[in-house]
Amino acid sequence: MLGSRRRCLRKFGGMTILHEVVPPDCDENDPIFEVDHLSLDYPGGRSHPVVEILNDVSFRVERGHTLTLVGPSGSGKSSLLRCLNRLVEPTSGTVRFNGYDIGSFDPRELRRRVALVMQTPVMFEGTVRDNLCIRPAGVTGDFSENRLVATLDEVGLESKLVDREAATLSGGEKQRVTIARALLRDPQALLLDEPTSALDPPNALLVVETISRLRASRALSIVAVTHQPDLVRRLGGGLLYLRKGRVEAFHSLEGSDTVLDARLQAFLAGENIAGEGGRT
Amino acid sequence: MSATANIIDLSVWQLAMALVLVAAIIVVSLRQSLGLERDLAIGTVRAIVQLYAVGLILAAVFAAARWYWILLILGVMTGVATQAAVSRLGKPVPGATWIAAIALTVSTAATLAYVIGVVVQVRPWYEPQYIIPIAGMILGNSMTSAALAGDRLQSDLRARSDEIEARLALGFSGREAVEPMVRASLRAAMIPTVNGMMTVGLVQLPGMMTGQILAGSSPLGAIRYQMVVVFMQGAATALGSLLFVRMAAGRYLTPAHQLRRYML
Repeated sequence: MLGSRRRCLRKFGGMTILHEVVPPDCDENDPIFEVDHLSLDYPGGRSHPVVEILNDVSFRVERGHTLTLVGPSGSGKSSLLRCLNRLVEPTSGTVRFNGYDIGSFDPRELRRRVALVMQTPVMFEGTVRDNLCIRPAGVTGDFSENRLVATLDEVGLESKLVDREAATLSGGEKQRVTIARALLRDPQALLLDEPTSALDPPNALLVVETISRLRASRALSIVAVTHQPDLVRRLGGGLLYLRKGRVEAFHSLEGSDTVLDARLQAFLAGENIAGEGGRT
Repeated sequence: MSATANIIDLSVWQLAMALVLVAAIIVVSLRQSLGLERDLAIGTVRAIVQLYAVGLILAAVFAAARWYWILLILGVMTGVATQAAVSRLGKPVPGATWIAAIALTVSTAATLAYVIGVVVQVRPWYEPQYIIPIAGMILGNSMTSAALAGDRLQSDLRARSDEIEARLALGFSGREAVEPMVRASLRAAMIPTVNGMMTVGLVQLPGMMTGQILAGSSPLGAIRYQMVVVFMQGAATALGSLLFVRMAAGRYLTPAHQLRRYML
């Protein structure tokens, strides 16, 4: 896998430098993500004005750690998450992955390293196996039977599901298949966009358990958006409160020395802050 | 053209008799309270004025038979078709006018050049009696299929944006991610033409064939032309929708393989 696919162009001043997605000189102490003064606007048009989505957001996520983004709906959480794997292009500011500006990577390669699990699980046509193995032509990896079964087991699904039509799975099963699909690409980081909000409580619980188990076993770096206090507590790490595109509060769930912001306290107590005066 | 002696030229009085048909529809509209009288009256006047104007222009062009007049007329036809195709899109796509203009010009020019130059072998190529009606038919098909494909593409991209994003997130290129929607749009645009080929001549006689027969051609001569027309309409449909959809799909993607969601 060290062929030209893993190489990418890095624009540096006027020069173009080739380097690997995970540079050999990558410092293990580098944070996995460093976000600096990130702003995002959706361009206006004749009939609609410019819409401000994110405004001067900065934070960092250490390798193997977790950051959870919370805030009212429309506060820009999902867009911020998508800036991390470059599905969305910020208007200004930088995102660094492994110490390098993500603009210097081939976006396709970046997205295989930074996997996204979306709110509504997307199943493609075909069986669970087809869904697990789906990949662009020319992309290699271990998609052997043993690996598929092992990965399904990792997300708490039975191996016999592999030949089921993906469309016939329950919501919770589908979501765990999408997590397995992400894991098969050996990502370094996992982005979770409200992975449980489209599920009923029992299924949501299964997905929460799967994620917290993975966090412990794989030492994955995770950035999550969730409204579910249970998932936040299990993920631990940092808590970033976003409102109208700005960072309003940050709290580490690991240290107990800081005073918890009232809004975060309310959130962790199970109050729904989703509807609180956000932009939609 | 042979057998011109059999053609009955219509007098003004005979045309006036045809207007009785419109009067009959207006009566129906009044009695059934359809509220279409005004539109019917305007439509009738417009049909008369527009067709008369086109007749006058064509008569002048046929008489002059200069290649630059032909090109001008073809240009105007393409411009009108472009506007019509773009206006049928549910939501405006930035640059849609240019995309439609390119798609229609290229698809029409390529099909027309082949039909005129290789199949029918019209000499000189700008013989208006052939090139104007043939170009009109090709353009009409390209226009309809481009609009149909574009409309379907828009609604599919909107409805399946999660699926596109899921593919992008798995490392697919933008082009690969929208491929299923592009294919669905192309199918949607081509199916009416393919279905039309299945029933051509069985359900109703095609307009051009009818016209040729009325103008005195033998039915066997007319069907040969009609076959050429059916095949060239197929080509125009495929080429017009393909070019339009490929270029339009590209507008929704960035070079960094991102979907411009705000455009949907």
